[in-house]
Amino acid sequence: MEGLTMTDSGNLLLDSIRDAVIMLDKDGFVGYANPAVTEIAGYTQQEMINKPLSILYEAKEDLIKAEYELEQARKKGKFISEGWKSKKNGDLFWGELTIAAIHDNEHQHSGYSCLLRDTSARKQTETSLRQSEEHYRLMVETIRDYSIFMLDCTGHVLTWNDGAKRNSGYTSTEIIGKHFSTFYTTEDLGDGKPERELRIAIETGKYEEEGWRVKKNGSIYWASVIITALFNEQNRHIGFSKVVRDLTERKENDERLRQSEERYRSLVEQVTDYGIFILDEKGRIASWNEGAKRIKGYTADEVIGKYFSIFYPEEDIMNGKPAHELKVAIAEGKYEEEGWRLRKDGTRFWANVVITAVYNTSGVLIGFSKVTKDLTERKENERALKQSHDRYRRLADELKITNEELSYTNREMEQFTSIVSHDLQEPIRTIKSFLLLIDMKLDAEQNKDLKVYIGKSIGAANRMRELIQNLLHYSQLGKDELITEDVNVNMLISQAMQNLRSSIESSGAKILIENDLETVPGDKVQLGQLIQNLLGNALKFTSDTEPYIKITAHKEDNHVKFAISDNGIGIAREDLHKVFEIFRRLNTEKTYPGTGIGLAICKKIVDRHKGKIWPESEKGKGTTFYFTLNEN
Amino acid sequence: MNRYRIILVENDEDEQMFMREGFESSGLFDIVAQVDNGDVLLNYLEEHKNNLPDIILSDLNMPGKNGMDIIEEVTSNPEYKHIPVIITSTSSTRSIIDKCLAAGAIDYVVKPDTFIDYLPFVQDLHRRIEQRSILK
Repeated sequence: MEGLTMTDSGNLLLDSIRDAVIMLDKDGFVGYANPAVTEIAGYTQQEMINKPLSILYEAKEDLIKAEYELEQARKKGKFISEGWKSKKNGDLFWGELTIAAIHDNEHQHSGYSCLLRDTSARKQTETSLRQSEEHYRLMVETIRDYSIFMLDCTGHVLTWNDGAKRNSGYTSTEIIGKHFSTFYTTEDLGDGKPERELRIAIETGKYEEEGWRVKKNGSIYWASVIITALFNEQNRHIGFSKVVRDLTERKENDERLRQSEERYRSLVEQVTDYGIFILDEKGRIASWNEGAKRIKGYTADEVIGKYFSIFYPEEDIMNGKPAHELKVAIAEGKYEEEGWRLRKDGTRFWANVVITAVYNTSGVLIGFSKVTKDLTERKENERALKQSHDRYRRLADELKITNEELSYTNREMEQFTSIVSHDLQEPIRTIKSFLLLIDMKLDAEQNKDLKVYIGKSIGAANRMRELIQNLLHYSQLGKDELITEDVNVNMLISQAMQNLRSSIESSGAKILIENDLETVPGDKVQLGQLIQNLLGNALKFTSDTEPYIKITAHKEDNHVKFAISDNGIGIAREDLHKVFEIFRRLNTEKTYPGTGIGLAICKKIVDRHKGKIWPESEKGKGTTFYFTLNEN
Repeated sequence: MNRYRIILVENDEDEQMFMREGFESSGLFDIVAQVDNGDVLLNYLEEHKNNLPDIILSDLNMPGKNGMDIIEEVTSNPEYKHIPVIITSTSSTRSIIDKCLAAGAIDYVVKPDTFIDYLPFVQDLHRRIEQRSILK
């Protein structure tokens, strides 16, 4: 840049300019940059020297673009561009670059002067303004429910949106430039209404009305119209905005809504199973239906306007429950519970309650709906059902027990039948057989053996009598109520021994008694029979050795245990389980008298006294019969 | 006409006597043994394994091992189970008959009205055995 000389004042000027001033040589390399370049682009003045102009471009090596722009400046004298420029650190800024060609005194091209201004801030304002304008335009244009358009000062249409097209039927090309009186009825036109409206809008700022307007197809519609006079910044009238809404549809909607509301209202009012009513946002009752009247007992007149807390028991009110429920309904949309509520007469009912917060279309809370169902009846039913269930179960249990008893009795009956049909027939058959033999002998006049036959008949008859008595005894055991008393055990034993005295004497048996018990609870007669039968057996089934019998009785755990031991013939292991079968008589070396019913009776007595009876024995080495009483 | 080798099980002495008379006079059976109850029968069988009977006719109710015990023990013993057991008793109760048959008795015959004339009973028994082809 030797060709250029700077005066001191020139230097001061360049130093103080806030825009970057750069001088380029004719090849486009920097010869000078003023201090502002540092502030704008981040390079020091020194760093700029001998660099191509393109280091300030968005792409720092974009020599093609730089060359193009310099060429344009050379050809046209000046080239102005606006666009992204980059700083030393790579940050971009929006800049305005003016390049001017410099010529020397001989009009030879000697370089360029460049002025670079950071216009980012202005650009941003511009951009946002344009975006905002664009938004409004788009918004207005796409609104479909309203006609929004502009008129010039004389009332000619300037703009047209989708809503206007939809409402009036005109497209923008058809209507723009036409006078807005096109939309008025003949009468209104005759009346000078359009002009009057514009005048009022200018005078008062706006004109507003609902009235008839005409569509392109000639049909009329009820419209809400607002005309606003528009003034620019200099307060000069520049035209009008006009907003029109077709209310025909709304009018129909209003009617439909009213009918629908009416239907719902009557529906709700007539529901009787549910109390359905509205609370205002404070919790005051605003509506009342049949169900509410039926459940709570209040009429609509009595209750509307009251706080809904009147349905709550005092305790709930003290706890602030009603308000809490509304709070939950607001927070969660809904509050639901089951609880006690009060009727008008003060009686309680178990209620299912749902409180729902109600909002209007703008999202403002306008109150609550409350649905109440009286569950008392259901609860009653449930309780009744449960009671009846319990009753039936008890009944079923009882039946089961009875059934078990019955089938036990049935088994006994079967045994009994079998005994009667079999064992009782045997002696009868014997008697009949001998009577026939006697008869035959008498016919043949043979007296021999007659006495023997008669003797056998008598024996059979006796046996039968014994069988019948035992059977009756056995059958009576299960029939009568137990007469339970505290029975003296020593007395029981001595009574049995007394009854069996002749057997004891004839057998010569030694009897040892070890009794720790004073009394046992039970039926005296049956317990006596029990001990007597067992003692009788012990005496009967003696072996040839000296009979020895031991009777013990003592307390064991929570019951009493008796044992009657003998040193008699014993019972074979495989026969032990058979001993209590009725009419069962086990095999023995010699024949013992008896009906086979004694132990069956013992078993039955012990059963009735809630005890157990069992034998322990070894063949030939004696038997011990144990029994317990009153086990649980 | 087959002649069967039979064991009679009966505890009543008088009945035993008339029973024997009936069987002998019929000529339809050979009485292999006449025993008092099941215990005696099983002892007998044990001692005469080479000479087992064709048929056992047993009373139902006896002291010691009774008719039911005999059915059980004979049918469960591999050496005896081929021997048919016929139960005889004074009872004509259906449940008792069914119980005996269910336990394994091959037949159940009600005893004659009196024991003084056993012949018709024996003849009937023979007929039943022949008809049922219970023996080969």
